[in-house]
Amino acid sequence: MEELKKKLKEQIIEALNLQDTKPEDIDDNAPLFGEGLGLDSIDSLELMVLLERQYHIKVEDPREGRKILQSVQSMAEFITSKQPA
Amino acid sequence: MAERVFITGVGMITAIGDDVAGNLHSLRSQRSGLGYTEYIDTIYRQVLPVAEVKHPSESLFALAGVPVKEGYTRTTLLGLIAMQEALRDAGIEDVQSAPTGFINASTVGGMCDTEKVYFDIIDPEKTGTFLQYIDTLDCADCTQRIADIVGFSEHIATISTACSSSANALMFGARMIRQGMLPRMVCGGTEALTRFTLNGFNSLKNVDKQFCRPFDQQRTGLNLGEGAAYLVLESESFAKANNSRILAELSGYCNTNEAFHPTSPSPDGDGAYEAMKTALAMSGHSLEQVEYINVHGTATLNNDVSEGKALERLFGDKVPLFSSTKPFTGHTLAAAGAIEAIYSILAIRHGLIFPNLNFSEKMEELSVTPVTQLLEGYPVNNVISNSFGFGGNNASLVISKYEG
Amino acid sequence: MKGKCYIQGMAAISPQPTFEGDIFQAPLVHTDSNLLACIEPDYKPFIPGNSLRRMTRTLKMGLTAALKCIQDSGISSPGPIITGTGKGSLQDTEKFIKEIVEYKETALNPTPFIQSTYNSVNGLIALQQKCTAYNNTFVHRGFSFENALLDSIMMIQEGASHTLTGAFEEITQEHFYIKSRIGCWKSAPVNSQDVYQQLSPGTIAGEGATFFTLTDAATPQSYAAISGFRMLYKPSEEKLATTLRNFSQSADLVICGRNGDSNHEHYYEVMDACFPGVPQLPFKHLCGEYDTAGAFGLWLGAWILKAQQLPASWFPMQEQLTAPVHSILFYNHFFGEQHVMLQLERV
Repeated sequence: MEELKKKLKEQIIEALNLQDTKPEDIDDNAPLFGEGLGLDSIDSLELMVLLERQYHIKVEDPREGRKILQSVQSMAEFITSKQPA
Repeated sequence: MAERVFITGVGMITAIGDDVAGNLHSLRSQRSGLGYTEYIDTIYRQVLPVAEVKHPSESLFALAGVPVKEGYTRTTLLGLIAMQEALRDAGIEDVQSAPTGFINASTVGGMCDTEKVYFDIIDPEKTGTFLQYIDTLDCADCTQRIADIVGFSEHIATISTACSSSANALMFGARMIRQGMLPRMVCGGTEALTRFTLNGFNSLKNVDKQFCRPFDQQRTGLNLGEGAAYLVLESESFAKANNSRILAELSGYCNTNEAFHPTSPSPDGDGAYEAMKTALAMSGHSLEQVEYINVHGTATLNNDVSEGKALERLFGDKVPLFSSTKPFTGHTLAAAGAIEAIYSILAIRHGLIFPNLNFSEKMEELSVTPVTQLLEGYPVNNVISNSFGFGGNNASLVISKYEG
Repeated sequence: MKGKCYIQGMAAISPQPTFEGDIFQAPLVHTDSNLLACIEPDYKPFIPGNSLRRMTRTLKMGLTAALKCIQDSGISSPGPIITGTGKGSLQDTEKFIKEIVEYKETALNPTPFIQSTYNSVNGLIALQQKCTAYNNTFVHRGFSFENALLDSIMMIQEGASHTLTGAFEEITQEHFYIKSRIGCWKSAPVNSQDVYQQLSPGTIAGEGATFFTLTDAATPQSYAAISGFRMLYKPSEEKLATTLRNFSQSADLVICGRNGDSNHEHYYEVMDACFPGVPQLPFKHLCGEYDTAGAFGLWLGAWILKAQQLPASWFPMQEQLTAPVHSILFYNHFFGEQHVMLQLERV
């Protein structure tokens, strides 16, 4: 899980072109949207694209997406739950 | 004082009809144009519903009355068909008979055809007749081809403000008339379905896999459509001197930007509220005098909340009858404003209120619900027609009965 | 055209160093690639990093030119925002077309689609400035900026005190190639500063973002007044000549869009015949040819009227002004189809 979260942070930074952010700047539990990283609804769509391209997980419903994309922690948990044990 | 602006001719083609009469018939029969694409090369052919004009492009040449020729895109052909009906309807045999401007609207120009040959166009190894389509990608291509065939040589322009494009074309034409620049303008828009746009809206996750359900609690998005519509606008003095038959008056309009988000409206509908309020004030009519609102009603999660809130804020507990006709035509983007302006005229002239198809459950955010049954013999004097788009571009038109 | 409007502020991002510094001391940038690309400024002082990260070139150039124009005008609220662009963000359009194929229509990033929309720059300006006023975008080749100008003049006639009016265009390598296939550009490399001497089919490509704050009244800061305006669509040479003659009787200077393209040079020859003996400044060796190059020509004319001098390095062929310039005739056309004439006056 720690490995996954580290990789996720790098992928988020690359996908969203967060030039001034380093992986260690992102707290596992900090909200990605609004206050935290200051992401918006277009970023949330881009993060769903990231999940689909990198982890082959498709999120259909944007309402469901909002829950999954709360934080790096929630994303990592979702990815883990979708992967075969 | 600026002159009044009258509508003296209309023409259209959509998934529910090849002309205005065909559209009226389908609206009355409550027959939707939604289905699955025959002509777009996409993996979503059987998945995402669209409202497609039921003719392959080859047959559109005949409907448009022009010989089959490379370089004429579907966007141009749809536009030409609607244009010719509008001119016929207004009794114009020759657009040169009076100084006449043409304001067109388009969101992706000839993308419908260009996207099929784009990879050949950029491949130096390939050559052929597809090169005729190189210049058709931009939005001016369809406007100029229509202008050249029909004979417009006075003012021409093309507007692109996403889903409010043709509402803005009507507004721009009306303003040119009111400023005394030209006595007659033909305004509207044309839009053909493309794989580009379908994938664009799908990437925004706001396309419904079911037939779209505007203002329904369970809605999940829009369905795209295609079509074209044009309205002939004339100044009052010209229309009188020309003895034109007047269908209705374009009595008010407003364009405003929401400055909220690149693609989403504000949750309280600030832009929609302002557009409707200002357009109605310009028309000189009161809130009580509005009998029907043809809402933008795309059935996306955000639009319907925002637009519904704006209706409740503006009209309080006396929200007029309203419906979205997008379940009939799909969301025709650049053509939507002009198509729905014509539907507003039909509502006035035939005493009709069109049903909002596919509605079953009230939205939790709103206290109002759309009309779900066709109403006939209903007196309609003033209609507000809304078109709201990406980039916060909002437009409302007020169309009023002509009393003589 | 009724009344006049005044240019209170302006800004240009172009292939020349026009964004900052003194243009009258600026060197001439030239190329022999047949493509004059913009000198892009540092965007960070204008656009917050969090917004900048998603934007492609056209959006950055358009938004930054608009913001700099607002600064220059000293009018903080932009009022109606009206723009023209022939092609919008080509980079985003190209990217989305390709990603549809590359990812087989699945898992597509929406950003290029959103940004390919022609009104996205207008939306961004409004969003950045929290400006809810009238907002419109024209997309009609060589009439794109000009219709935006007409709309702005109408807005001022209708009572707006000022408008933000601009144009933006980019040329990508891919689009350069596409247009070369239908003969838009010269087939052999030409040094851009010699483009007028190399009369042959085609011209050189360019790009730029140019914005103006237009006002209903003159101020000591005004650059110039726009006092006349005509657009002609595919005119005959006779109609062009008649219109040009009736349009302006008293130009001290002609600024024209001549571009070395022998296919359409005859229209400029019609103009030459209408204004014999009037000094002429062509501007396409500075910015290249593009749908909204007319905005750059207007920017140049307004500067000359205000400063009463020519940018010397840009016009080595022209002697410095000896008499005051009170009135400029501007004439441009885009590949022979959309013809535009403007009358500019000293304030």
